Amino acid sequence: MTEVSVAVKPGRAVQEPARRGRTRSTKRSRREARAAYLFLAPWFVGLLVITIGPIFASLYLSFTDYSLLEEAKWIGFDNYVKMFTEDPRFVASLKVTTIYVIVSVPLQLAFALALALVLDRGLRGLPLYRSIFYLPSLLGGSVAIAILWRKVFGAEGLVNSVLAVFGIQGQGWVGHPDYALGTLILLHVWTFGAPMIIFLAGLRQIPSSYYEAAAVDGAGLLRQFKSITLPLLTPIIFFNLVLELIKSFQSFTQSFIVSGGKGGPADSTLFYTLYLYLQGFKNYDMGYAAAMAWVLLLIIAGLTGVNFLASKYWVFYGDTK
Amino acid sequence: MSSGKKMWSAALLATAVLAVTAACGSGGGAGETADGKIKLRFSYWGSDARQKMTEEAIKKFEAKNPTIDVEGEFSDWASYYETLSTKVAGSDAPDVMSLEIRGLREYADRGTLADLASKVNTADVDAKVLGTGAIDGKQFAIPTGVNAFSLLVNKGLVEQSKAALPDDKTWTWEDYVELAGKISAGSGGKVTGTQLSWNPAYLQIYATQKGEPFYDGNKLGMTPETIKEWWAIMQNLIKGKGAPEAAKSSEIGATSIDQSLLGTNTGAMGMWWSNQLGAASKASGQELDLLRMPKIKGATAGGMFLQPAMFYGASSKTEHAAEAAKFIDFMINDPEAGAIILSDRGLPASSKVLTAVRDKLPEADQKTLAFLDENKGELTDPPAAPPKGASAMEDILTRYSEEVMFGRLTPDDAAQKFITEANASIAG
Repeated sequence: MTEVSVAVKPGRAVQEPARRGRTRSTKRSRREARAAYLFLAPWFVGLLVITIGPIFASLYLSFTDYSLLEEAKWIGFDNYVKMFTEDPRFVASLKVTTIYVIVSVPLQLAFALALALVLDRGLRGLPLYRSIFYLPSLLGGSVAIAILWRKVFGAEGLVNSVLAVFGIQGQGWVGHPDYALGTLILLHVWTFGAPMIIFLAGLRQIPSSYYEAAAVDGAGLLRQFKSITLPLLTPIIFFNLVLELIKSFQSFTQSFIVSGGKGGPADSTLFYTLYLYLQGFKNYDMGYAAAMAWVLLLIIAGLTGVNFLASKYWVFYGDTK
Repeated sequence: MSSGKKMWSAALLATAVLAVTAACGSGGGAGETADGKIKLRFSYWGSDARQKMTEEAIKKFEAKNPTIDVEGEFSDWASYYETLSTKVAGSDAPDVMSLEIRGLREYADRGTLADLASKVNTADVDAKVLGTGAIDGKQFAIPTGVNAFSLLVNKGLVEQSKAALPDDKTWTWEDYVELAGKISAGSGGKVTGTQLSWNPAYLQIYATQKGEPFYDGNKLGMTPETIKEWWAIMQNLIKGKGAPEAAKSSEIGATSIDQSLLGTNTGAMGMWWSNQLGAASKASGQELDLLRMPKIKGATAGGMFLQPAMFYGASSKTEHAAEAAKFIDFMINDPEAGAIILSDRGLPASSKVLTAVRDKLPEADQKTLAFLDENKGELTDPPAAPPKGASAMEDILTRYSEEVMFGRLTPDDAAQKFITEANASIAG
């Protein structure tokens, strides 16, 4: 971040002479441009060394057998072939992650939108409520919350204590392969704060005159929501959808902590990224892990692409017909 | 023009600052410190208490060897191997590294470790225990101390539940299952008999009782029948209410010993490595004891074995091989180091150190020592370091065991699949 702010100043310095440069000395502007690039250099170096370099290194590693402890050996497409032909755990992790994303993202967005609508009704103390609801978003990916989740959904946890009041004999939710993923989905839904804030901002953008006009014409709340709020909010929904889709495909901490780093019970919470980590660091197969990372990149890029294509049919930008 | 000059110097300054900070970041490689001392890096994992002890031992070593400066590199267990393998990958391996037996071959087979034979004095270390650190005749690692996988019991809770402990010299798995059920029933649900363990050491003990080895070179040496019988013990425990149902069991299985049934006084038994008696006793606050593992009826071998708690190894790339060996020698053989570390890295492997610190050991460890002494004649030889890929064994075993406990796989299918996956993992 600091590099960026440094880069802004010389950027302005370059523009000024560029405007006048045609009429005045170009020698000076060239020199200033050079200075600007020198200022920018630290940032470029960072981009190359810390971001672009490793990305290409990981692409190379994905075609190798690399244990971290020895030199990488080129093995061509073996890692990719193995993934899809002889690794049932890879397929299992893909399945777990897909279910997680498909269920938790729409649920979370629906929840976020519903709360944004309620808060937008002009509640007193709105900033306070907004902050409170936003809190889980800040904490959701944290270790402490994942541990808390074990306590809440454990065999002797809060949920079962409440159920016991009603005479229902609960069971260990995080410890059962049929329910463990469900608790992680709930955890994700619970972190609805970030999309909620964005929805709130989006709702504020809709001119109140539309609602007034609709009310004059006798439209009820539901009708107003369907015909005004929803269509005008589609760009925001789209934005949240893309963002949350990418984020939830990359979920790691929840499953890592709640399952004790194993994706258990019986692989029911084996997230894609968790399996990637286990392959790289526990099985000393960094080449395979790198290949998995690239497959994930392709999956996310593909889904985002499809999302953008599909958006033509349902996202309504006010300025287009 | 002056403003242009100023800008140039500012830009140069910024670049210079960046270069300096970058240089600081990559500092800390092997070599010498500013005052001409040889710098030795030593990596280990563990608790804060262990860090304090280790730092104290390092100070003592430095006092005796003023030309060497040892820098401890400490991390928690969960991230230890990640950090270590990343350092090795970056040609930044510590000169001396701690390893445990499952990681030993991962590192030794890949040429990361140096042969320490005749560089470190091992005369006082039991030859069989020492042998676990040797691979293909090369002494890649020196064991720090030993442990035995055993049964921990809270005798007070057993008595409260009006159950009686059978003689652990003769007891069978059936006795164990029955006792666990009695404890659960007798305590009125307040105390559960035992908790399940999926530690490969447990299966290894069971297999030895059947006369089968866990590993046979680069594949498993057990028959599917053995694994199925072993699962049947756990299924019977759940059936007889001697252990919590499957979901709760897998939940407890993912927590540390502090949160275990035994550690929270909600269970009367459990299986762990003997050096965890101290931690379990501290968590429970009650008196805990060690028992021999139950046996198969008519088994000739008890199957329990000593295993090094940890090893010290030296990097094959170190520039200070002699100093690294000297430091390891100090940590293993010097009674002064032993007096600081005590049983933190297992009961000292060196008999000389053990004799010297015996009386200083905490109560729980004195108990462990007495227990191991008493059992000495029954113990099976320490097994060789497991093959490369064995780091994943506990995870694989846990996974298939859970599949069986939840009834998602039949024991037949699970045993087959477990053997296939485990063999693939350790094939090399």
